[in-house]
Amino acid sequence: MLDVDLRSVLKCVRCGACRSVCPVLEEVGWESAGARGRMLVAHGISQGLDVDDDVLESLNTCMTCGMCKQMCPAGANPINVIENIRHRLVMKGDMTEAQKKLHKRITETGNSLGEESGRREWLGECTGSIKETAEYVYFVGCLGAYRYPESVIATFDVLSHFDVTLLPDEVCCGSPLIRTGFDADKMIAHNVEQIRMVGAHTIITSCAGCHNTLIQSYPDEFKVVHVSEFLAEHLSELELKRLDLTVTYHDACHLGRCRGVFDAPRKVITAVCDLKEMKTNREDARCCGGGGGVRTGYPELSLALVKKRLMDVPDGVDYLITSCPLCTKNLIEGGSDTDVIDLVELVRLAMK
Amino acid sequence: MELITNLQEIVGIDSVSASPMELYCYSSDASQIRGTPDYVVRPQDSEQVSKILKFANEHEIPVTARGAGTGLAGGAVALEGGIVLDLSGMDRILDIDINNLQVAVEPGVVHSKLNEVLKAEGFFFPPDPGSSAMCTLGGLIANNGSGMRSVKYGTTRSYVLDLEVVLADGSVIHTGSKTLKSSAGYDLTRLMVGSEGTLGVITKAILKIHPLPKARTVVLASFETPELAGEAVVKTLSEGVIPSACEILDRTTVEVLNSYDPNIAIPDAGATILFEFDGTKSSVVEEAEIVEAVCKPFASGIRVAADRKEMEEIWSARRLVGAAISRINPNKTRVYVGEDVGVPIKEIPRMLKLVQSISDEFDLPIMTYGHVGDGNLHTGMCIDMLDNEQWERLNLAADKIHKTAIMLDGTVSAEHGIGSARCEYMRLERGDALDVMILIKRALDPKGILNPGKLGV
Repeated sequence: MLDVDLRSVLKCVRCGACRSVCPVLEEVGWESAGARGRMLVAHGISQGLDVDDDVLESLNTCMTCGMCKQMCPAGANPINVIENIRHRLVMKGDMTEAQKKLHKRITETGNSLGEESGRREWLGECTGSIKETAEYVYFVGCLGAYRYPESVIATFDVLSHFDVTLLPDEVCCGSPLIRTGFDADKMIAHNVEQIRMVGAHTIITSCAGCHNTLIQSYPDEFKVVHVSEFLAEHLSELELKRLDLTVTYHDACHLGRCRGVFDAPRKVITAVCDLKEMKTNREDARCCGGGGGVRTGYPELSLALVKKRLMDVPDGVDYLITSCPLCTKNLIEGGSDTDVIDLVELVRLAMK
Repeated sequence: MELITNLQEIVGIDSVSASPMELYCYSSDASQIRGTPDYVVRPQDSEQVSKILKFANEHEIPVTARGAGTGLAGGAVALEGGIVLDLSGMDRILDIDINNLQVAVEPGVVHSKLNEVLKAEGFFFPPDPGSSAMCTLGGLIANNGSGMRSVKYGTTRSYVLDLEVVLADGSVIHTGSKTLKSSAGYDLTRLMVGSEGTLGVITKAILKIHPLPKARTVVLASFETPELAGEAVVKTLSEGVIPSACEILDRTTVEVLNSYDPNIAIPDAGATILFEFDGTKSSVVEEAEIVEAVCKPFASGIRVAADRKEMEEIWSARRLVGAAISRINPNKTRVYVGEDVGVPIKEIPRMLKLVQSISDEFDLPIMTYGHVGDGNLHTGMCIDMLDNEQWERLNLAADKIHKTAIMLDGTVSAEHGIGSARCEYMRLERGDALDVMILIKRALDPKGILNPGKLGV
């Protein structure tokens, strides 16, 4: 029988309040697809419930969006319980094919996409001009480096006004591994060593997943700020012009609900153009459907969820702004009618 | 043919589960009652429900209806296995008929969703359970739930005009009509409300709605002891003032509320009463003044909530306080037992005092809160779930709370239902009337397939 932290599981009084917020339950309908159901599954496992494909599906379809944790009146933390159980199951070898493939990709290539090419190819000709040491280091992230070079270039370009450099050999932050139940110790140790070499006191992230993981799972010897926070603090130094645009902003779960970063991106946006909020926003923002390994493991579910999120986009906006490349990817692939761009790309449009 | 195939033929392959994992998820509600079904079925309409019941009746398979599974007495738990009918997918609002002051809904509609829709029309469905955000109307009707506003507006029973009910043999009846009143025969609607799925399965309801009041105000009154607070409530009600909510919060409840939502700053006191008045701008001011005058000799402090935002914050935190008590101690969890007694309103001060003495006797802190304006007290107890000795004291305290309420001519459940958690008190509370209930049950469900083991019938 699996050793489950029973006390955390028993914190759930099964009142069902999370039924009102869990987006997966709303989509799927079965009790096992919601936070209360997953807490029950965790309890069941502690009581000898066989771990079969249905159990794995229940546990692995949680996006760790944090809606349930935020509203749980009893103070339970389903995300922790689910991630712990995923971890214990993985240690025993109970996992899906999608989990196995993800793990293989990251451990073999150092990135979640399984890309063999260099992580710094987006830099093009500029590789030589990267400083060896700096006060700040820009942690690029896998998706940015390999899928959204234009937004990474924009970010690095904007940050080049400050004493910022890159890690000489950045690897995946470990978020996809940790979310899906694996250890990420090697990735973390590698990146920490790189950060020490660069001598930076602060890491700047541009991905909500990296941001959350660098704060939660890395040693706290350096500060971690999201690029939106960094820019909000240095707005006056950037000489930005006003754009004749109205945009809306999608709060990434792991940046907003999990880390409380709501004001900074809004401060940056309203400094350069008009902001029209999405139907659900800030603490109540719906998940894009991409997190927690759901995008990789359950693409159809993820697609259904992002379609619901896209219904929150207000009329009459020029761009849908995000501050996480995973959200960007999901929102674009979900068929957004509005152009989806990263916050920093908007800032670069406003630079004189 | 295997049973599961029959069920799949009725509702489709994807709407039946016999997965051990899924069955485990459906083996409980928010109470301590457990029972694992053999199948969970998610029907989409009353025709499917009818076919399932006809089939189950022929094969004598127990059927337990379930909404959101938020019940506190095991009402939706399949004690004898069989089929759990998860009706949460039947969640359409079928008709909003403002001219006739009514709505038609399927049983899976979530309470707060109905009120969100009605708000746009300037109306509301008055019963206001703490579980508004997640409970279904079917479950609310089947338990005759109510909540904070019943002191003025009454319980769910007062708002049900007609029910479509599938009986044990699969036949479908309508218990009432679209008229706002009717003298045509036995009141089957009122019989079905609160019958907890033991007489039939509700597949549609026509509910009476009410215009939204133009104004609301909340008065917060603090008292040194719960008994003084209870006396103030009795006095207020006897002055002819009917608040739209009248909630008592003891010291622990206030602490829990303030920690759940730090924006709420209810002063620390032995007990707090939240009076809400609704009506017109002038009537609510006038009633607030009367209650202030009546409470003054008893209270240690009185103030009016600053604005609508403060009122909404207070009520939304109050609705979830029952579970939030678990936050006070990381090793303890709220257990719902003995949590829903009701007493005649003049017995409130006495009941509060007796709850305190039960708390002392069993050395178990008991948080008291509830709809004191209608005599409904919720008692909240938290224990270390891994400590058997605490379980024992908890169950003894709950038993004594139930028996104390009956002794005061009260009830063991004012709004949460009997389920199986409170069956044993039915004889004590209802006496020979229970025999009549048993006769009705046998007449409508001769094979006993509908939610067996509930209500003491």
